[in-house]
Amino acid sequence: MSRVSLNQIAPDFSLPDYSGRLFRLSDLRGEKNVLLVFNRTFT
Amino acid sequence: MAQLRQDYSEFVARNAEVVVVGPENAQSFSSYFQKEALPFVGLPDPGASVLKLYGQEVNLFKLGRMPAQVLIDKAGVARFVHYGHSMADIPANEEILTLLDEINSK
Repeated sequence: MSRVSLNQIAPDFSLPDYSGRLFRLSDLRGEKNVLLVFNRTFT
Repeated sequence: MAQLRQDYSEFVARNAEVVVVGPENAQSFSSYFQKEALPFVGLPDPGASVLKLYGQEVNLFKLGRMPAQVLIDKAGVARFVHYGHSMADIPANEEILTLLDEINSK
């Protein structure tokens, strides 16, 4: 399984958020830093 | 999640968006985010497309996905990558906030 490499461009992706609005990582480029959190489950 | 919410304003102050990706569906995300009043972007990923793209580890022995965090700067570059090895293996916010200060100062 591939892993993200440090100091390299993070892979772009887009997914609808839970309210149906499309989120695209690259839309934030030049705008904001992003903390991407992979959550296991809501407990 | 609670830990992140507590410091959310600190992330905002550092021009960072917190984006949570998880295996639940949109309805579970919606009810959990509302119940907990979570201000983050919540991305349901039941097909695990992003999880696979980023290589989140699936621990077969523990039958679950391990937590992972990736800090991406404004240029789109991964500046911090943490793959948890247990459910509780989550970096302290301070560590990430300090790194954000460093990124923002450049």
